[in-house]
Amino acid sequence: MRSLPAADPGIPDARSPVRYLLWIARNQAGPLAVGIAYAVLWWLTMALVPAFVGNGIDAITDRDLPGLLTWGALTFALGAAQAVTGVMRHRMAVHNWLSAAYRTVQVTVRQATRLGATLPRRMSTGEVVSVGNSDIAHIGNAIDILLRGTGAVVAVAAVTVIMFGMSPVLGLTVLVGVPLMAAAVAPLLKPLHRRQHAHRDLQGELSTRATDIVAGLRVLRGVGGEQVFADRYAAESQRVRRAGVRVAAVDSALEGAQILLPGLLIAAVTWLGAAFAIEGRITPGDLVTFYGYAVFLVAPMRTLTEAADKLTKGHVSARRVVRILNLEPEMTGGAARSDGGLLRDVASGVAVRPGTLTAVAAATPEEAVAVAERLGRYVGGDVDFGDVPLDTLPLAEVRRRILVADNGARLFAGTLRDELDVSGTAPDEVLAEALHAACAEDVVEALPGGLDAPVAESGREFSGGQQQRLRLARALVADPEVLILVEPTSAVDAHTEARIADRLAKARQGRTTLVCTTSPLVLDRADHVIYVEGGLARAQGTHRELLTTAPAYAATVTRGED
Amino acid sequence: MSERTDGQAGGSAEPDGGRILPVADRAQVRAYARRLTLQHPRALAAALVLHGLAAACGLAVPWLLGGLVQDVHDGAGVAPAAVALAVAGFLVGQAVLVRYAVYASSALGEKVLAELREEFVGRVLGLPLSAVERAGSGDLITRTSRDVDSLSRTVRHAVPETLIALVTCAVTVGALVLVGPLLVLPSLLAAPVLWFSTRWYLRRARDGYLRESAAYADMTDGLAETVNGARTVEALGLQERRHRRTDADIARSWAAERYTLGLRTVWFPAVEFGYVIPIVATLVAGGAFYIEGWASIAQVTSAVIYVQQLIDPLDRLLMWIDELQVGGASMARLLGVSEVPDDREAGTAAPDGRELRADGVRYAYREGRDVLHGIDLAVRPGERLAVVGPSGAGKSTLGRLLAGIHGPRAGKVTVGGAPLVELPLDDLRGQVALVTQEHHVFRGTLRDNLLIARPEADDDAIRAALAAVDAGDWVAALPGGLDTAVGSGGEEVSPAQAQQLALARLVLADPHTLVLDEATSLIDPRAARHLERSLAAVLDGRTVIAIAHRLHTAHDADRVAVVEGGRISELGSHDELVAAGGSYAALWSSWHGTPR
Repeated sequence: MRSLPAADPGIPDARSPVRYLLWIARNQAGPLAVGIAYAVLWWLTMALVPAFVGNGIDAITDRDLPGLLTWGALTFALGAAQAVTGVMRHRMAVHNWLSAAYRTVQVTVRQATRLGATLPRRMSTGEVVSVGNSDIAHIGNAIDILLRGTGAVVAVAAVTVIMFGMSPVLGLTVLVGVPLMAAAVAPLLKPLHRRQHAHRDLQGELSTRATDIVAGLRVLRGVGGEQVFADRYAAESQRVRRAGVRVAAVDSALEGAQILLPGLLIAAVTWLGAAFAIEGRITPGDLVTFYGYAVFLVAPMRTLTEAADKLTKGHVSARRVVRILNLEPEMTGGAARSDGGLLRDVASGVAVRPGTLTAVAAATPEEAVAVAERLGRYVGGDVDFGDVPLDTLPLAEVRRRILVADNGARLFAGTLRDELDVSGTAPDEVLAEALHAACAEDVVEALPGGLDAPVAESGREFSGGQQQRLRLARALVADPEVLILVEPTSAVDAHTEARIADRLAKARQGRTTLVCTTSPLVLDRADHVIYVEGGLARAQGTHRELLTTAPAYAATVTRGED
Repeated sequence: MSERTDGQAGGSAEPDGGRILPVADRAQVRAYARRLTLQHPRALAAALVLHGLAAACGLAVPWLLGGLVQDVHDGAGVAPAAVALAVAGFLVGQAVLVRYAVYASSALGEKVLAELREEFVGRVLGLPLSAVERAGSGDLITRTSRDVDSLSRTVRHAVPETLIALVTCAVTVGALVLVGPLLVLPSLLAAPVLWFSTRWYLRRARDGYLRESAAYADMTDGLAETVNGARTVEALGLQERRHRRTDADIARSWAAERYTLGLRTVWFPAVEFGYVIPIVATLVAGGAFYIEGWASIAQVTSAVIYVQQLIDPLDRLLMWIDELQVGGASMARLLGVSEVPDDREAGTAAPDGRELRADGVRYAYREGRDVLHGIDLAVRPGERLAVVGPSGAGKSTLGRLLAGIHGPRAGKVTVGGAPLVELPLDDLRGQVALVTQEHHVFRGTLRDNLLIARPEADDDAIRAALAAVDAGDWVAALPGGLDTAVGSGGEEVSPAQAQQLALARLVLADPHTLVLDEATSLIDPRAARHLERSLAAVLDGRTVIAIAHRLHTAHDADRVAVVEGGRISELGSHDELVAAGGSYAALWSSWHGTPR
């Protein structure tokens, strides 16, 4: 078996869900073909068993010991072949299932990183995450069923040939009877699916409720209310239980029908077979064989029904994947070059001079964010970088040269060192300097293992203030030409904030930095402060100048203090 | 052999790492499963009897067929119609019995399942908070969603199927004995093959599947992390790194899958041989017996069909044992939640008065690393105490100890003389409540979100509470008012609004002492100050401990405690501390940006 994952998943065909599934299948055509071959052989060995056993019975009735031993040996060989092809088929099935699932994860992750900031704006992230939670399994199932499904078709064909060779009339009875009886349970399927659907919905809600409880557990334990939630959960849980029992009512009827209807066929086969056997048209052993096939054929028929279901579900899942794959990044770039220089947002009039620490204090937080988003080219806007419009630069270059670090930025799982040093090349001194500037040394010291300590999912083990300082350290290690910090000290205490403000100015000495903040401590350390209100730069100068000349600015930054 | 094991996917638990929640061991899982099975003995017995009768009906057909073959062979007078009618009659009986048997066992399964998940959620709700914080919510969320789902499948299908298969096997073997005791012997050849291969497999399977589902969960978690952090990936150019992480996760998942696949590659063929041996043995030996005159043709025919019919329940049995293991692994993780040692034990002391005291309090999140080094603090009833200090000094930890969330490692925290962690939880809530900067809006209506704190509160009380936290206006502006659905899937509520809701809950809960840990940090600073003042008016007479990094909160308080390095370094009124010229005074002047 090929080792997984593929080094390069390739470029998916996302023109339609079917094309996507075909693309997946094409990429694993070899293993898929081998798997189908094994599945066909496996089914065939199973399909031959009733015929061999029937011949054995005939040998017995004829008191033909050599014949009996021959058929016994053949049946055993058949069993051996079935064991080998069965397990090979299973191995190929797992391999194909996983190949399809893994490749879908790979292309989804690659598309997510290609979309970047566009992703959360265009699609609910929950929907994309659900690709991992359910869609890859459905796509895997759809590929997997191709193996057994093909085998089932071949098995039905083989059984048809065998039966017609013995008795066309009985053969036809079995062949027509089995699907007919399978179809006869159809009226029960609709109410069953409806109830299953209702049950699944309720169960999904129950699951969401449970997740909600876990996500809010800290809050709940702070204020109480555990009992209310336990009761509410119990009430919903009982609703799910009742829905489950309603499913069982139809499901049990279906199970009964699945015995009753083939049972009627078996009775008919017995009747006809007995009559034929008495007439000598078939042997007693053939009678046993026909009985065997009336029972056996139920299995490939069920597999075919299962195939229809799994392919449908796989198609639905592929549709979601395709929808994600068809998204395009909102921002694109050109091919121009810029030597850098003044970074100017035309709409607000905010201009960041190269090599300085500039601060934007906005009357509302949203206005500051809007300026930062335009300057960082996360949204469109008329922005100049030096004497070149920012939107004519290649986007990758913009990202490399201008870093917008906001409080929505995530910390990823991994070691703290990897987390802080995104390039993977920074020496320890650089990390130490950045941690010092961000006042985050204590965070590292408290970790057993320091920089090499593992960081859990989204840095949850850290407090809001600690996360903020780590994010700041990460931005400083990245050392971009232009660093735009949005409220970098909102979650730290005044004492630490004052220290960060001092150290930030030193750490970014000679580099271009813009800080969006209303903290007087940080504003006081900035070379240049711009006051933004109503989306426009209203006043500029140093913090102290503005305190006396711009009353609106003073009101904003002193937070209404007496 | 088993189809259901194709492409395993299941729960998650990182086997390594010390900070994950515990997983129950095998003996605990077994004991619990036994207790669960025997919880409803009468319903269980009824279901088993029904299944047994159904299986017995199913066995009549091969017996009739055997007789038929014999009669045809003997040239005896056969009435095909009578035989066919008898076949039909037994099968109708089997169908009816199966209908009731399946219904009975499903209803029982649903009942047990509901009990199981309710018990689990109850356990989660009683989980010591220190454990939740250390494990991260991810592990717990996986247990609540994926493991509960996986256990549902087990209880709903694997457990009843196993029992049915056992009953059917027993009945079929019984029939075989009735047809001809001699004809049972050839089938026994298969027993050692099935027994030893299955034992070999089961010994290794549990850990293999645990690893497999953990690796699978790492992979889907990694995908979720990339998706949720897509903007950060773009900003920092982390694309390549995320691709590498994904591929490494997949490689680990593949390795884990290959291990269990290897196990099945040995086990499956062994089992298949175990099935074919009885058929061939019965056919050949039965033929010999017949030729020797020890058995009739009818007996041999019936026996051959019986051993073939035995395959299905046997296969189900073995296959579901496999699935039972997967369910067992999920069960181990669900039960593991209750393995977390409780951090409190209800005592008998009842609080006498409202004075909250900390005496010689020490606390450590990790062994040997105290974050609080002997805190002594007496909070006067009715006062507003502000706690300030640099990040990481232990303010939040102290707040959680004062709210009775954590128990101190040494020393004690008491209210009216009674240790907080020895109060029954409900009593504790009546005394002290905590609101942190962490906010969560629960799924449900806005009213539901507030009633958590006081289920019997009426709308007027809710509105008054909302008004006290300056949230009356925006709530009134919502399309459904208090009935607006919020939380995941509902109306969007900003973090600042979520903090207001958290505070409104507190107003409703109305304990005599409140601990506010950065409870207004996400609200615009000017609005926050207004809110704090209106809140103070509502909370007049209550004791309020406010942990804050904005100094205006300290300025407005009766007393200020400065926490530095896990100790209270200064305690007194704002003016006293400023006059004292210590670290608070320095902080105050740095806040103003000018020395004073």
